[in-house]
Amino acid sequence: MSFGELGTAALFVYMLALVGIAEIARRARRDRSASDHFLAGRELSTFVLLLTLYATAYSGNSLLGYPGEAYRRGFSWIMATGFMMSIIVAFHALVPKLRPVAVARGFVTPGDWIRFRFGEGGEGRALRVVIATLMALALSNFLFAQLKALGEMAEQVTGGIVSYEVGVILLATMVLFYETLGGMRAVAWTDAAQGLLMMVGLMALGGWLLMGAGGFAELTRGVAQARPDAVLVPPVREQLNWASTILLMGLASVLYPQAIQRIFAAKDGRTLRRTFAWMTFMPLTTTLVVTLIGLAAIPRFAGLADVEADRVMPLLLGEWSAVGGWAMAVSVAVFLGALAAIMSTADSVLLSLGSLVAQDLLGHSEGDARTTAIGKRVGVIAMAGMAMLALWAREVTLWGVIELKMELLIQCVPAFLLALHWKGQSARATIWGAVLGTAIAVLGLFFGVKRFGGIHVGVIGLALNLAVVWIGSRNRFRAG
Amino acid sequence: MGKWVSKRGGMRARIRGGLLGFIGVAYLVSIPWYREPGATVPLLWGLPSWVTVAIGCYVVVAVANCLAWLLTEIDDAPRDEDRDDVS
Repeated sequence: MSFGELGTAALFVYMLALVGIAEIARRARRDRSASDHFLAGRELSTFVLLLTLYATAYSGNSLLGYPGEAYRRGFSWIMATGFMMSIIVAFHALVPKLRPVAVARGFVTPGDWIRFRFGEGGEGRALRVVIATLMALALSNFLFAQLKALGEMAEQVTGGIVSYEVGVILLATMVLFYETLGGMRAVAWTDAAQGLLMMVGLMALGGWLLMGAGGFAELTRGVAQARPDAVLVPPVREQLNWASTILLMGLASVLYPQAIQRIFAAKDGRTLRRTFAWMTFMPLTTTLVVTLIGLAAIPRFAGLADVEADRVMPLLLGEWSAVGGWAMAVSVAVFLGALAAIMSTADSVLLSLGSLVAQDLLGHSEGDARTTAIGKRVGVIAMAGMAMLALWAREVTLWGVIELKMELLIQCVPAFLLALHWKGQSARATIWGAVLGTAIAVLGLFFGVKRFGGIHVGVIGLALNLAVVWIGSRNRFRAG
Repeated sequence: MGKWVSKRGGMRARIRGGLLGFIGVAYLVSIPWYREPGATVPLLWGLPSWVTVAIGCYVVVAVANCLAWLLTEIDDAPRDEDRDDVS
């Protein structure tokens, strides 16, 4: 049996397993309410919560984008381990304050916090729309990145038997199916299985590469010979970018609506505390490993162009499988693990997008039975739109897509991380701050300026955003 | 008893605050601003020394952050000082 045939068979067995899990999750549902569908009845345990957060956080971006970026930038991409860890550090500013209120008030979406903190109508309503729009744009961007990664992985795992285009359509339909049928339960349960598969697979691949390279010293020498600049102390601009990326990723990632909803969905506070305590080690077992994988690719595949670099992971897996025997079987398992991780992020994004649009943008209430149905319809439309975009825009680097999403999401920081700790913050000032910060991020994108001296335009936008919120809220106090 | 619990809670909060401050310092040290940009550096445990230092810092961050989370109180009901927000 060839690698492609084995991969195709494994892919179809995996898809059948997903259908089974979705059906079990559908039977486990208690009612048709939005909180049961979108938050699994708020009963996620430490084990499931840890693996669903893990599988959601480590996505197509981490598995394809990060090795690609390590290949492009060299050893300075070690920063990725730091910025993925900064997310779990930044959660300290969100979780202890948000969770008690969320439980007491039965929050389902991030917009419920805005409604509670800034009021139902008037400026509170306007702020909710601004924040929900930013989050929906970021989620759509995220979904696009996952679909693109799904197509790439499907083509690689099946050795071309399933093309990129068919892969995008087939797997997007599968995600839509099990998410619509089983809601958060199906998503969390499949995430748990997918997370385990990904972790084991990555460790196996990392071990094979290090043994093949002859250890760290040989790996470093190989990289230095192929690309001497990749091992040198990075220039000041790159160091500023390092600090800026830690801020950008740490602050923006805690505001992923799907992450916020998992805080609401946890069984209790103790479960959340233990989950985050474990979660903090995940960048060492995942991001560090994928960074080393990208670095190991430098001496193996010389001269890959920008977009081609995102394919170093599949290229390495293809090379590993050529060894034959157990290596082929394990590399198929790693491929499936990576595919699973991408699907698990896509399903979480889709679920959040549906609830966000139905409740925060269209204004349906949590108790309204139609909210779940509308959320599902939004999911279908979003998935169809992003799948078409993924078919059309294949030649976009994944890291470029991630940065754009984060620069939008980070403008929501004052509405959550600041508003949770400062009672004097006004809705009007928060709206103007978010509008200014977003305008700066979008103008930067429009004029092709992503960074000033290594610092992301989104981070500069956030600094001005915070200044506007601070000055605007203080003036309101004085006027009052 | 209530006072003792409160004192213990205060100590936990102070240790947690200290750990979070320590994490901030580890992040600062992880970026090689103290090295000359473009310089070739010796290997440490098989990796360029600035990379090994960065990885070491992130291991320290992971341990300190794990302890900080274990010391974090996450209530399932709003605390007294936040209760007026949930009326």
